[in-house]
This record gives sequence, structure tokens and C-alpha cells, in this order.
Amino acid sequence: MKTAVKPPGSDTARPTDGARPAHRLPFWVNQQLGLLVLIVVLAAVFGTLRPAFFNERLVLFPLLRDVSTLTVVALAQMVVLSIGHMNLAVGRMAAFGAFFAGFGYDRLGLPLVLGLVLCLVAGAAVGALTGWIIARTGVNSFVVTLAMDFALLGLVPLLYSACTENAAFTTRPAGLAELRSSSLADICLGPVCGSPAVPQVAQFTVLALAGLAFLYYRTRTGRELLLTGANPAAAELSGIPTGRRVVLAHALSGTLAALAGFMAAVGTGTFRASIGDDFMLPSFLGAVLGGTLLTGGAVSVVGALLGTTLVGVIRKGLDLLGVGLESLNIYLGCVLLLALSADRVRTVVSYRKVVRST
Amino acid sequence: MNRRRTALSTAAALVLLATASTACTVKSSDEPGATSAAPSGKAGGGTAELADGSKVKVALVPGGAHPYFQPWKQAGDQAKQTLRLGDATFDETAEWDQQKQNNLLSTLAARGYNAFGIFGVSPTDINTTFADLKAQGFAVASLGSCPAGDIDKADFCLSTDVELAAYKAAKTAIDAMGGKGALVHLTGNNVDANTQLRKKGVEKAVKETGGQVTLLQTITDIDKDLQTAQKAVSDLLAAKGDQIAGIVSTAYNPAVAAAEAVHQSGSKAKVVAIDDDAKILSSVKDGSVVATVVQNPVGQAEIGSWVLALLQSKQCTMKQPGKAVDSGSFVVTKDNVATYNDTRKETTAQLKKQFAGELLSCG
Repeated sequence: MKTAVKPPGSDTARPTDGARPAHRLPFWVNQQLGLLVLIVVLAAVFGTLRPAFFNERLVLFPLLRDVSTLTVVALAQMVVLSIGHMNLAVGRMAAFGAFFAGFGYDRLGLPLVLGLVLCLVAGAAVGALTGWIIARTGVNSFVVTLAMDFALLGLVPLLYSACTENAAFTTRPAGLAELRSSSLADICLGPVCGSPAVPQVAQFTVLALAGLAFLYYRTRTGRELLLTGANPAAAELSGIPTGRRVVLAHALSGTLAALAGFMAAVGTGTFRASIGDDFMLPSFLGAVLGGTLLTGGAVSVVGALLGTTLVGVIRKGLDLLGVGLESLNIYLGCVLLLALSADRVRTVVSYRKVVRST
Repeated sequence: MNRRRTALSTAAALVLLATASTACTVKSSDEPGATSAAPSGKAGGGTAELADGSKVKVALVPGGAHPYFQPWKQAGDQAKQTLRLGDATFDETAEWDQQKQNNLLSTLAARGYNAFGIFGVSPTDINTTFADLKAQGFAVASLGSCPAGDIDKADFCLSTDVELAAYKAAKTAIDAMGGKGALVHLTGNNVDANTQLRKKGVEKAVKETGGQVTLLQTITDIDKDLQTAQKAVSDLLAAKGDQIAGIVSTAYNPAVAAAEAVHQSGSKAKVVAIDDDAKILSSVKDGSVVATVVQNPVGQAEIGSWVLALLQSKQCTMKQPGKAVDSGSFVVTKDNVATYNDTRKETTAQLKKQFAGELLSCG
């Protein structure tokens, strides 16, 4: 599931030779399929070396909870990448949104759902503000989001210091603890219950994936976003309100970042300023591994999930093998490099085959 | 038209996301904290000498890599040999992220470790992690840092009383300043509950002087690395060097930076540092640092592993689960720099007696 508006150099949009019908690349070149195969192979390898890898409660549940949160983070980045921008403030926007959820629960006594709505609205607002600044000033998104990151880096701890004693909101509304620890095993349809490995917070990820898939693959707005990313000048000349699309993409990114912040807070237990500190790199990693172009114009919604899962599986597997801190990131880097190289080799080999056959 | 459609889609997505959390029917509440009943404190008639530790696998898990935890590694290995534990490991791959630490702990549990000595990354979140582990039948100790607030869901907490240690350090600095002048406090991450306690400790000592000593500035968030601390300290000395009579540091990197900067600049500020890094100890010896407040990480890992083994092998229970015990903090000056380690060992031996005699119920 990848959508693109003829991005230059994209695998899915090779030039065709005019008179003849386009020679499609074989199905096994599909990047998402490649990632899926890699994930399955790595899981099998880790599972063989350490059978505990398939322990539902101790390994798969926390792994999937992590993947759920980081996939939303990757989606937050993917949305702005689709218009050729980037969001360096993705982690701070998560912290900003989470602050409002915590504030809602602690000070306003809001129920779980309303706190989440407040969190998402705050994320959307800060995202929209960022987008508006970019659209109005024409300053590069890198600069504006970096500035926003610094501003929030100072603002969020200030807000926490002003409102709390321990620099965290520890009030937990009804349902938060259940949301954190429940899995599909707690949800039954008659006698059939779900898997204890799938956390309930994954519902947010599924909704975000479905919502974005609908936006990009089924709506005009989605296509306009991609066209804005592929060629802003052409998009403008085609009558697309690119400024508004920029604001929309950043508002969506802020909303998703806030959702990820909420999920991270649910995962650990309290709403605090350090939420989202480590979100920036995984946001790019998940999106780009999945096939989203850094230059804009092409996104892969499912790819973001697969890219994040791949990194999660590698890290979990290495943890289970007891790899120390010194080696962990080296191995992680090497495995990712191999994974991406394998993907590239596969694409080149298949492309040559297609060229030879024509 | 387009704008309205976009707004409608966004609103619909928001409502969908918000209602998702309540849309599903949940069979049962599985909050681990609710199920972990506190063991009853029965009168102990047995011994606190570990009978069989072969089934106990202890994992010592700091919040991330930091020089403070290095003694844990050796103490863990030592405990494995002397107590004949099934295994003991030291894993510092949590990278100062609570989510990563939670994942690491569950992975260690999957690898067969069943007793955990944990320095929680986030003091406000760590109780949730403790409750999770307790619910799965593991022995859990909060080592080096206690959870924020009055409740501790671990079996026990063995940590430096950070407020007391900061108070001691500030008192020592104030004494060295001659009881008057301006004091500066250098510390770590401001949005950490322990930093708030350290600030309280220093403020308390300053308040006791009745206005003779003023707290000129509290500089936070400079324990990230040595470079950050060095820059902050040199900026501080350049801007306000002549006003400062004393510097108290309650975090590791600013302590090293302050010791170096004062030594090099020839400032007359009296510096009180923290921990016993080689650089700080040599500064204490040469007099550029008046004193350092050292903690007891070896004692935390040694006693922590021993009590965890007793608890996990069901030989003993805690009389009062969640009890916080001060692992000790010691003011080291030029006079006792050669002998403070013996005092620390004595404290560790005292702690062992305190656990065996007062805190554990063995039968």
C-alpha cells in the first residue's frame, strides 16, 4: 500500500517506453512485502535462538505496545514528509499534547475520553500554528519546526513546574490503568477472546492507520497533499490551495504526535515533560524504512507500521540475546543497513531483469 | 467547499479516536497493582542467612549508563559468587527512557530473571512498573532512587535520602563560607522528582541561616554531559564569579565541572561536590573542593541482591512492604578522604544488620 504522485526516482513509477504498456516490476520487489518478509525471518531467527521471543505476556505484549506508539510517531512524520516538509518538533508536540491531557485529568477532573480530545486539540493547534508560520513566511520547515522544538523544550517543563510538585501529573482517570494493561484477551465475542499479545492501545494505531490510508488513497485532499509535496509550483498552478494543505499536514502531524504522547503516557503511567524525548529519530526511521520519500510526494501508510515493527523486532531480539549497551546500537545499525541494502539490491536486480526482458 | 470537507473529516477523525477508548467491551480490569496483595508481616523466627539462592536470578537495572552505577556491576558479580545465586546480571541499556526500561525489564523476565533491583528512570512512573513485576511474582527492589510520593510498590527501597544528602552538602558549603554570602546550587534534570527534593534540601539549609546566606541561583538541567556542565559553570563564573561565596553541586557532571573551573580560575568560591569520582577526590585532596558528599552504590547493590534473594526464595518477607531505607551519605573532606571508604563499609554492615533484625521476617 504505497501511494505516489510520480515522484522522481520512485520504484513504483519507473518510466515506460511510450507505445508499449508499462512493464511492471515483479510483486516480490514491493518494498512493504520485503519488509514483511524481513520481519518474519528475523522473528523466526530470534525465536529459534531464544524461544522466549514468542512469550505473549513478557515479550510480544510490550513489543507491540511500543510498536503501536512508535508507529503513530512515524505517521506524524510521514504526514509532513508527504508535502516535502519535516517536523523536528514531533517529540515536543507529543509532550505538549500530553501536558493538556494530564492537566485535564488532574485539574479539570475530565474523564478519559475528554482528556484525550483536549490532548489532540492541543496537538492540532500547535501543529496548525507551525504550518501557518511556514505557509505565511515561506521559511523552510526544517528551520520553523526546529524553532518550535526549542520553544516547546522550554515551555513544556515550565508548564509542568508551574502546575505540579513532582514535575508530572499523576492523577489517573477511570479506565487509564485498564487501557494500559489490557490486551485483546480481555475482549471477548462470546467464548472467543483475542490474543493476550495485542495491547488495547493498538486500537489508536489501527484507527490512525485506517484514517490516513483513507485520506491518502481515497480522498482528493490526500492527493492534493501528495501533489503539494511532489511539486509545489505545479500544485499551486493546478489550483490547489497549497498554503492550506501545508497547514492541514502540520495540524495532522501535531494531532498524531499528541496521540503518540498520550499513548506513551498511558504506557508508563503518568503525564510528564520527558514524554517524546526520544521520538524524533524513530519518527524518520519508521516512515523512511517503510517507503515514504524524504522529498515528498510519496507515502506508505502500512510501510510506517512495517518499518517501525522491523526496528522493534531487531531491538527486542538483541535485548533477548543479552547484547550489551556498547554493542546494541552497533548491531541495530548494521542490521538496518543490511536490511535496506538487501532491499535496494532486490530492486536493482529486478529492474535489470525487467529491462532485459523488454 | 474543500475547506469544509477537510474540517469535517478532521472532526470525524478526532471523534473516532476519542471514542475508541470506550468503544470496546472489556472483560476484566487487569491492573496489576490491584492484585498484588501485601505479604503479611509474620513474626520471624528463622535466619536471614540465605539458605539456597540457586533458583534466584537477580537483575540490577539502572536507568541508563552513568558512572554512579558502575560499582553495581562488580557488586552484582560478587553477590552471585558469595550467595551462590542462579545468576546475576547488570543491564544499563534502558537509555534513560521509562518505556525502554519497562521493555528491558520484561525482556529480562522472559530470559528467566526473577528478582529485580531497579533505579527507575521516572520516579513518578516507576510504581506502575513495580506493580507490574510484583503481580508476576517477582521480587522487586527500588535501588538508588525511591518512587515519588509516599507509596512504594516495590518490596523495599534502598537509596540515598537525596533531600538529606543535599541538605548535608549545602550545610557543609555554608560552614565553609563562614555562614554568610551567596550560594549557587548546580543540579540535574529539573523535571525529575529527585531534583525537586534536592532543591528542597538546599533551600532548607539556606533558610536555616536566617538570611545570612542567600541562594543566588539554582542552575538545573546541566547533568546531561560534562561539556554542558562545563559551559554552564564557566558562564556562571564569568557573569557572577565575584559575588559567589559557595557552590554546591548535587549532580555528578556539574560537580566535576565546578571542581575544574574553580581550580583553573582561582575563584575563592567554596565548592561542595557529590560522589567520589577520581577527579573530585583529587580536588578534595588539593583543597580546590572543600568537601564531597559520597553515596553508597556498592551497599545498594550488595544488600539489594541479598535481600532480593531472600525474598524471591520465600525464605523471608518484608515486615512492612515498600519500606524506604537510607543507604547512607557521607561528607568527605581533606581530613577523612583516606578513611571514608571504611565508614561506608561499616554503614553497609549496619544496613545488613538492620534488614536482618528489624525489616525482614524470616521463618
